[in-house]
Amino acid sequence: MNIVELEEVYKNYGDLQVLKNINLQFRRGTSTALVGPTGSGKTVLLRLIDLLEKPSSGTIYFEGTNANESNDIRLNIRRQIGMVFQKPLAFKASVYDNIAYGLKVRGKKENMDKKIKEILELIGLPGYENRNALKLSGGETQRLALARAMITDPRLLLLDEPTANLDPISKKKMEKLILRINRESETTIIMTTHDLSQGQKLADRMIILYNGQILQSGTPDRIFRKPKNRFVADFIGIENLMSGQIEDSSDGLVKIKTDFITVFALSGKKGKVHFTIRPDEITVSREKFQTSARNTIQGKIYKIIDTGSFIKLLVDTGELITVFITRESLNELSLSVGTNIWLYFKASAVHVF
Amino acid sequence: MNEIISAILQAVELIIERDPELIGITRLSLYVSLTATLIASLISIPIGGIIYFYEFRGKRTLINLIQTLYSVPTVLVGLFLFLLISQQGPFGFLNLLFTPTGMIIGQTLLILPILIGFTITALVGVSIQIRELAISLGASTYQTIITIIKEARYAIMSAVILGFGRAISEVGVAILIGGNIRGFTRNFTTAISLETSRGNLVLSIALGFILLSLALLINLVLNYLQGKD
Repeated sequence: MNIVELEEVYKNYGDLQVLKNINLQFRRGTSTALVGPTGSGKTVLLRLIDLLEKPSSGTIYFEGTNANESNDIRLNIRRQIGMVFQKPLAFKASVYDNIAYGLKVRGKKENMDKKIKEILELIGLPGYENRNALKLSGGETQRLALARAMITDPRLLLLDEPTANLDPISKKKMEKLILRINRESETTIIMTTHDLSQGQKLADRMIILYNGQILQSGTPDRIFRKPKNRFVADFIGIENLMSGQIEDSSDGLVKIKTDFITVFALSGKKGKVHFTIRPDEITVSREKFQTSARNTIQGKIYKIIDTGSFIKLLVDTGELITVFITRESLNELSLSVGTNIWLYFKASAVHVF
Repeated sequence: MNEIISAILQAVELIIERDPELIGITRLSLYVSLTATLIASLISIPIGGIIYFYEFRGKRTLINLIQTLYSVPTVLVGLFLFLLISQQGPFGFLNLLFTPTGMIIGQTLLILPILIGFTITALVGVSIQIRELAISLGASTYQTIITIIKEARYAIMSAVILGFGRAISEVGVAILIGGNIRGFTRNFTTAISLETSRGNLVLSIALGFILLSLALLINLVLNYLQGKD
């Protein structure tokens, strides 16, 4: 069952069109990350889902109901949603009163003391009931905001760049909490972030947003393996992003020529294309071998980077190609900067778009 | 000069002795002005909340009007009310002229603009993000307004105290509506006016001291509240 659906949603502010033709469905219990650079419209999208603003056109459905049909309906639905804003914010009151707010406005006053005590333990601020909320640190305030949103047991939790203004340690704590909520409760989560790796870490599904439009949607893995277009590839920081012209093609096998190298790939496209090669699907050798790989390219090692877990080789083949190898391989082959090596990769390792 | 010093000393004596007329005037002043402030607050804070929250045509103009009335001359308010409640006026049958109740009504009218206007300013001073926080946490319109009033409580309290200050130190309404009747509608300001013009400095100075102490007290409380913000 889709907990939230957006149908042909547009949003403008005057002449500025911030969201264009958004069509999205969110399944209950899932966690989704809306990823995109600043200005891509992701915060506006979240605000529309929280019913803080109305779309300029299009419809938003919450569990099948048109959410903006009336003020009463909006209030009702909003009471089933919890939201954490980017900037840590607290009422001029105690921690207890801040958290109790959601319960009080809904008239759900039973067992308030107990519930608040438990949630304070969950977020790592036990015994903070009587503290002045304005005196908390940024990280503590954001966790307070999370508790405030979660205490009413919302069906949908919205997080707008929840760790954007936090220091690294608070950020880790916040992420742990989010993961825990995802694992242990039925709450559907939608979060926005400009940090791809965070999206990957915390969500089952990612939606890439750019300039108000959805570019791609899918599991993080899929997006990384098969970015739909150049912008997505650029944004997710894919290695070995190149462009060239398709010269020959037969039976799905194409020959792509860049200014410097020729690459064989599997694709149905024609003309000018972009493509990437996964750095972990390239093998290397010092001597030229016959292999089953379609692509054999020669180059010189330009730089060696030790990431701690593996080695990154930057190889100058005309195009600068990144290759991932193990430390053992580096030693066994005695590779160093300036060494001439051969690169091998299958046609299927090349992703063309 | 000697006369003045002697008057001051006698004034201090009056205060120490708790002169009954002094006490009576003090009591009436506090009764009238505190009641007026209370009534005005009960009206102004909700109205201020509503004006703040909703957008409507003429909102700008309304707020401008309210701000213009901040410093309306007290005698004008006194005159306006006089016309309403004198025997010839539409509310003459209520017999409010020359009564403390009449004074209360007058001072309430006088400080309504300040209280409404400053309440609105106080609410506007609460960041819009707090308002959105309340809404996102499921507050209805009414609940949101209450929450914002709570957030702005120190600024609003300051406004109330300011209103009281204006009420207790005004002359125009008290004299026109109260009539300065001894033992009945004679407050600080009307008494000081009368006694000084009669040359009876002692009572005036004594009353002056009390009024001054009150002003100082008000100032201290205001400072404390503003520090809390």
